[in-house]
Amino acid sequence: MKSVPSSEPGFHSGDLDDLYENAPCGYAVLQSDGKIARVNATLCSWLGAPAHELLGSRFRDRLTMPGRVLYETHLIPLLRMQGFVTEIVLDLVTANGKFPVFVSANEKRDAQENLEFTRLIVFQAEQRRTFEQSLVRSRDDAFQGLADEKATGALREQFIAVLGHDLRNPLASIDAGLRMASREPLSPKQSRLVGLMQASSLRMSGLIDNVLDFARGQLGGGLTLSRDASKPLEPTLRQIVNELRTSHADVEIVEAISIEVPVDCDHSRVGQLLSNLLGNALTHGAIGQPVRVEVSANANGLELSVANAGDPIPTAAMEHLFQPFFRGDVRQSANGLGLGLHIASEIAKAHGGTLTVSSTPDETRFTFRMPLVAWPEAAHPLP
Amino acid sequence: MSDKKTALRRNNVVTDGGGDRAVVFAHGFGCDQNMWRLVEPAFRPDFRTIRFDHVGAGKSDLSAFVPEKYSTLSGYADDLVEIGNELGLEDAIFVGHSVSAMIGVLASLKSPGMFGKLVMVGPSPRYINDGEYIGGFTPGDVEDLLGSLAENHMGWSNAMAPAIMGNGDRPELGEELAASFCRTDPEIAKQFARATFTGDNRADLRLVSVPTLILQCQDDIIAAENVGRFVHRNIAGSTFVMLDATGHCPNLSAPDEVIREIRAFL
Repeated sequence: MKSVPSSEPGFHSGDLDDLYENAPCGYAVLQSDGKIARVNATLCSWLGAPAHELLGSRFRDRLTMPGRVLYETHLIPLLRMQGFVTEIVLDLVTANGKFPVFVSANEKRDAQENLEFTRLIVFQAEQRRTFEQSLVRSRDDAFQGLADEKATGALREQFIAVLGHDLRNPLASIDAGLRMASREPLSPKQSRLVGLMQASSLRMSGLIDNVLDFARGQLGGGLTLSRDASKPLEPTLRQIVNELRTSHADVEIVEAISIEVPVDCDHSRVGQLLSNLLGNALTHGAIGQPVRVEVSANANGLELSVANAGDPIPTAAMEHLFQPFFRGDVRQSANGLGLGLHIASEIAKAHGGTLTVSSTPDETRFTFRMPLVAWPEAAHPLP
Repeated sequence: MSDKKTALRRNNVVTDGGGDRAVVFAHGFGCDQNMWRLVEPAFRPDFRTIRFDHVGAGKSDLSAFVPEKYSTLSGYADDLVEIGNELGLEDAIFVGHSVSAMIGVLASLKSPGMFGKLVMVGPSPRYINDGEYIGGFTPGDVEDLLGSLAENHMGWSNAMAPAIMGNGDRPELGEELAASFCRTDPEIAKQFARATFTGDNRADLRLVSVPTLILQCQDDIIAAENVGRFVHRNIAGSTFVMLDATGHCPNLSAPDEVIREIRAFL
């Protein structure tokens, strides 16, 4: 190996002293009592004090107050227990204020495990610390945001409970009262009034159902189905038609229901879908024209459609029909919450089906289609 | 009670040694029962020794940490009384380091007869200055300290434990110890720090009636000599011993001296 003449520029073995003194990090050796036994030039310059002033003083006393506490309660015990510490966050106190650093250290021990001295290395960590502080803040903000969300969620749950019980129960009482009243001898005028009130109660019940479902859907759970293929669907659908017929005596409802196979669906959900579509048609249909309900279930699947005559839905409105709170032409007293079609389309989706609309000057028709899996006749005979 | 010995599990209580009387060693803020590992074995031949971790520290049940309960030292003292009851402690010796010295005082007042003697290592009844009283800290210092704990997740958060290196220097300390000692959930550490450094238990000192030993370190910035002497003045008949040891943890830095002084007192 060729020796390098000392006159040439470059690194020389003697420069290890220079590396120790002027390395871009602080070095210190602490006696077993924590007093500084050696310190390099870099650390001296950071601390703003010459070496002779630092020697014999405690490293601990060059830290901020919290740093001193952490030094005594964490750093020293950890060092004594495991012989080293790494990346401890501390602040040096300098003439120019706080100087953020990371400190790592290890112990030199004798054969009896007694501490001889501690080697300490100090890294400047201003940018890194600023970055980490902002991370800590972001994390705290995120936790706060999450807590706020949870609080909002809890409020929403409460709101749903209110709708579910506090509104529905009195409505059920009103409904029961009206039913009893309708069995009494009534004048034609009274009879008409009771009929109108029953229609209102039914409509209100439908609105509550829709709002409830919408609120639940917003919670992220979506609609849950309880499917039952063993129960016949037809009576459910006929009951819906009859209820609405009673409450809308001025409009003719013509239904054609033909269900040949078991339908694996949530009966009350499909009933709700029909109720929403039919209620919509009764509200928006042309006066004096019948509303048609057609249901067929066979090997091709279930198809349920509701059609009414009247002005076609404007093209611009078509694409928004199934969005929540969308209300097309707001006519007198015809304005609902704009949730009926949205909920109906959600019910269709939950069943793996579709809800579509076609609207011409002749008729406006909403059609729900869902596929049916083939059921072995023997296992699930139609009642 | 149908659910017995829950405190023993919750606080990771470890017993050893044999003898008529029991010595309970309690660790202070920052670490766990291993703080006493260089002192406790010396008492095994003559005493039943008991060590435990405060909830939130070491191998205690972190799920038992209820912020309201542990917002003051009283919650920690309740735990200590429960441990004493489950172990059937009577006339035992309590040795408490740092904040646990005061936790022991509170427990001895809550359950008279449980502890016959108290040893307080680096005690302070109040850390924040108050008029004539110099605890050593301003309220701003304490707020800075709490912030600093949040930042030091890398140094001793339990989340970083798996990254801890092997321990070639001291093979008798398992990795497990290195992984748990001084490492805890930063939020819990912050709460414990708040309970420790914002408390004021000066009035409780005068109520102590059992023989008490105060071990004071040199140059202890957390519990300075004037604070140790305040404790001594306020506990009638107490003994004050100035150690040669410096700093705040003589149980680690000068275990032999601590053992000698406690033995002399007993």
